Amino acid sequence: MKKIGFILSVSIFFLFIHFVTSYAQKRPEGKLVVFHAGSLSVPFAMIEKAFEEKYPDVDVLREAGGSTKMARLISEVGKPADVMAAADYTVIDDLLIPRFTDWQVRFASNQLVLCYTSKSRYADKVNGRNWYKILQEKGVIWGQADPNLDPCGYRALMVMQLAERFYRSPGLYGRLLASRSEAAIRPKSVELISLLKTGNIDYAWEYLSVALQHGLKYVRLPDEINLGNSEFDSFYRLAKVKVTGRKPGTWTVKTGKSCTYGVTILKDSANKEAAVAFVEYLINPEGGLRILQESGQAPIIPCLTGSVQMYQALPDVLRKLVRPQ
Amino acid sequence: MKVGTRMARRGSNTLFFAGLLGLSLPVLFLIFFPLGRLVTAPTFEDLVHAIREADVQAALLRSLLTALGAALVSLVFGTPLAYLLSRRDFPGKKLVEGLIDLPIMIPHPVIGIAILGLATRDTVFGRILEWMGIQVMGTYAGIVAVLTFVGLPFFLNTAKAAFESVPERLEHVSMGLGAGSLSTFFRVTLPLSWRGIVLGMVMCTARAISEFGAVIVVAYHPMLAPVLIYERFTAYGLKYSQPVAVWLIVISVILFVAMRFLSRPVRQW
Repeated sequence: MKKIGFILSVSIFFLFIHFVTSYAQKRPEGKLVVFHAGSLSVPFAMIEKAFEEKYPDVDVLREAGGSTKMARLISEVGKPADVMAAADYTVIDDLLIPRFTDWQVRFASNQLVLCYTSKSRYADKVNGRNWYKILQEKGVIWGQADPNLDPCGYRALMVMQLAERFYRSPGLYGRLLASRSEAAIRPKSVELISLLKTGNIDYAWEYLSVALQHGLKYVRLPDEINLGNSEFDSFYRLAKVKVTGRKPGTWTVKTGKSCTYGVTILKDSANKEAAVAFVEYLINPEGGLRILQESGQAPIIPCLTGSVQMYQALPDVLRKLVRPQ
Repeated sequence: MKVGTRMARRGSNTLFFAGLLGLSLPVLFLIFFPLGRLVTAPTFEDLVHAIREADVQAALLRSLLTALGAALVSLVFGTPLAYLLSRRDFPGKKLVEGLIDLPIMIPHPVIGIAILGLATRDTVFGRILEWMGIQVMGTYAGIVAVLTFVGLPFFLNTAKAAFESVPERLEHVSMGLGAGSLSTFFRVTLPLSWRGIVLGMVMCTARAISEFGAVIVVAYHPMLAPVLIYERFTAYGLKYSQPVAVWLIVISVILFVAMRFLSRPVRQW
């Protein structure tokens, strides 16, 4: 009788310790829904794996698409998500702030390149000086993402607008648009890759990181027009593209800016703990940012945010990794 | 004793049919309730506004015409095969019949990917297509190819059953009287089976007009109705996609009722 009583009390003691410590640790667990840009697919797959190794009780569920489309899934369709990582932080500003979140953290940059394969027409001739002539050649099929659904789409249009000014070729933008095949517009920029690889299209506007990740050939463009160098922001600003607004029939204007990716945690997140842990891992220079760098995408170290108010709205653990404005 | 058993039998019959009806209710509910909700959800203004948009009109028209195109292709190229399968036995016939049903089982995006892969320039077939100037991605040729692929099994099975319902005896009599095989087909077999063939086309059109997964891989533009509905849903939510869905259902229902009406059996005197 005494023995049983002893065993029972020891067990209860250990159970008590377990609950107290697990409550105190508050380890992240459960499902974590992450919406992200298609161009982040490859690095985010690696980040998911590393994060799940660090926090084995969390199940990260990623869904990729054009950033605008993913943001609208949250704002218009009401699809539940915990974290949203967009290829353009202004997508978060325009569609999600202030109803669904109060802040965004800018964590990576990118630049646009013209991708092709060895199967593409004029693959052996195309370079940084003649690309805009080759795109206009008869028989060349080139594609881009849908500007209304994917930032890569309107950024491609901006590059072409800037090219008109840079190469001092009036009407170039119009001529390039006329040579574009409507069939080669896809809602998500990374869909163009399979079309390139199967030889259905010759050239596609993609991010440099995506070209590197998928082993595609690419034409590097001058910094003045590739939306990759923030020093040229004043020139980039000359490009303006009209895209659809929140309702069909309404429009907003996007102004050219160097590609800056943004991430946020939604107010309605069902798993804030895991979400904060995930973003903390992502914007850590030794964690997610290093994976991004190794995947060919330049991270922003330290990460930035939009304003002092936005900095105050950040979760505590994230503030350490973000530079106050 | 006899009266008792007869009444008992009638009683158990009613119970049996009541049971059948009861178990059928969930199925009927599953089919009609969501559709009923969908059809009544948009307001009249929403519906009018949707049908006035050029994008919507274009998408609905494209869906209709490509589906009918697929049915036509199935008619022209499927009828011979259906007749062959109904009349002739040959080694491997069971295999062919199984393969015909294969398109029903393949995931739809896989169908799209397979058909896109036909036209790649590093295959011989792809280069032949290129030489002929035929493109698959983002073209009506590609769309109709995909729709025919998914609709063909429905046409073939229905047409085959229609031919099988025509007694071979009649065809033999016709040929015995001196008519050739082709003449027999057009003057004996077809008049007796054309309603089944039209039904086959209805089935094929029905299957084709609703295809989404295969179409969106092959062609995002030109945009068909199911693709437009999906894009509207992901971009703008239910309010802007439901009206288009309702119009697609309305048009499909009108089409099928019309096709069935035109092939109704003649009143028996």
